[in-house]
Amino acid sequence: MTRAGLTIVAVALGAAVAAPFFLKPFGIFLISTWTVLTIAAMGLNLTLGYAGQISLAQGAFVGIGAYTVALLTPAGVPFLAAFIAAGFLCFAIGWALGYPALRVQHHYLAFVTLAFTTLVFLVLRNEQWLTNGIYGITGTPRPTLFGWTSSGARDFYFLCLGVLVVLSLATWWMLHSPWGRAFVALRENPVRAQSLGLDTRRYTLMAFAIGSSLGGLSGALYAPLVQFIEPNSFALGLSFNLLLMVIVGGSGNFFGPYVGALISVLLPEWLRVAQGYYLIVYSVAVIVMMAFCPAGVLGLVERASRLVNGRRKAISGTPLHTGEQANDRSA
Amino acid sequence: MTAVLEVSNLRKTFGGIVAVDGVSFEVRSGEILGIIGPNGSGKSTLFNCVLGQLRPSAGDVRVDGRLTTGMRPCDLNRLGVSRTFQLLQVFPQLSVRDNLVLAGQEHQGSMASRLFGLSDAGLGDAAEQMIEFFRLSNLADEPAGSLSYGQQKLLDAAMAFMAGPRLVLLDEPAGGVNLTMLGHLRERLQAYHAERKATFVVIEHQMEFVMALCTRVLVLAEGRLIAEGTPHDVRRNPTVIEAYLGH
Repeated sequence: MTRAGLTIVAVALGAAVAAPFFLKPFGIFLISTWTVLTIAAMGLNLTLGYAGQISLAQGAFVGIGAYTVALLTPAGVPFLAAFIAAGFLCFAIGWALGYPALRVQHHYLAFVTLAFTTLVFLVLRNEQWLTNGIYGITGTPRPTLFGWTSSGARDFYFLCLGVLVVLSLATWWMLHSPWGRAFVALRENPVRAQSLGLDTRRYTLMAFAIGSSLGGLSGALYAPLVQFIEPNSFALGLSFNLLLMVIVGGSGNFFGPYVGALISVLLPEWLRVAQGYYLIVYSVAVIVMMAFCPAGVLGLVERASRLVNGRRKAISGTPLHTGEQANDRSA
Repeated sequence: MTAVLEVSNLRKTFGGIVAVDGVSFEVRSGEILGIIGPNGSGKSTLFNCVLGQLRPSAGDVRVDGRLTTGMRPCDLNRLGVSRTFQLLQVFPQLSVRDNLVLAGQEHQGSMASRLFGLSDAGLGDAAEQMIEFFRLSNLADEPAGSLSYGQQKLLDAAMAFMAGPRLVLLDEPAGGVNLTMLGHLRERLQAYHAERKATFVVIEHQMEFVMALCTRVLVLAEGRLIAEGTPHDVRRNPTVIEAYLGH
């Protein structure tokens, strides 16, 4: 990362730490929601943005994670153990869901994952003996970790922010290891990747499993955040919303989910003045963005940055390309 | 000389169409074998059957005496068999250096060790050497997609060599490349062959390129092997002239 990039990250982190001291409880709830949804979007960004496997199941994994914690913690299981269990359970289910991705791609895969989301919703709604059905589960306690209790809104926000930072560092590490390069190769050209020795089957399953696991960990924080979960919260709408966060922020860009989740959480509040027209305004904004900048908000920023750098180089007389250009192809 | 690759009675059909019809040949260690033939003669299908992209309908493929018929391309690559494709197959969003590291990283340790190991999988120096060898030094940090077509062809070939393979199959390496870049590519392939004693199999339409590069040539027509010999002999073979060169 460049020095300018590090500075931006440091400033953003500083703002995230300072923010709850200037916000009312509802504002703290909103930024807590942002941290939780960013974790889920980060997982989807790994599966979709880096590895190129479209998934409409991320909302279902958030649901599985949330119900795991909501069911285990009242039974006396420590939050940390329930949190880890949610991650492992979603990793295992995500691995299994990855198998169809070995056979189908693109919109066919989207339909497979959409069917999975519907299946999870039906289980959550109909298996009342386990999930309490449409009545949901209330009162999931906020955790106490090593003697520190996070029952207050601000404390719980810092817990969520801490988890986001740790998971972000782990994801950053992975994406900058040879695995990250392999995921990009999987997205760009799986046939060539395989001819270079990449076990595309294993990397595809791993991309699904890790992305789903992040969805589950997000859900594990969502349950104690809202303290009331019910099946409708994890229906297809959430998966679409998470997909939108990744696309609007910048699919395949590490910081895309942070920006996408921020827009998704804050925009409804900013557009309150538009009242019932909020969704229309949001939809038009998304359509315009996808038409003119499919790489999302951060793609727009990168494009502007390249334009500025290009002008600077042109002014200083530095050539933009050192190699011979595409005109050497035989006619 | 020992055979690195043995292909026995290989046959591939697509419904009623016989694309490759009982082809047998072997590739000896250290040679550059050319495979030529008119369009639709089954050259690329033969390559794809040998390299695991397609499963043959019948016949055997052996690498260093080991049966590899139907083996996955990634497993074959780890056995030391590498390839390029007819159409350019670089990763456009990755830099030239990252393309090369990617081409070698799966040969370094286990999947788990690659996660916790170095970002370049310890291939930084090897990638630099390959960049220098193929004279791409001033482009090392550029995204591969921004390179010219000829430069991407060079990178494509360099990627095939990155893991130090025992056998490299090049599918139309000269396709679409201008004459200047073609000479450069041929010269680099010859230099690599002389330096590393690598074994090549080359499918090519560009006859001058094949004749100058290869030590032995096989000719395919309608899925069958119709001739075999030195470039000089093949050029004069009446069957070949009728099937291909006479066009």
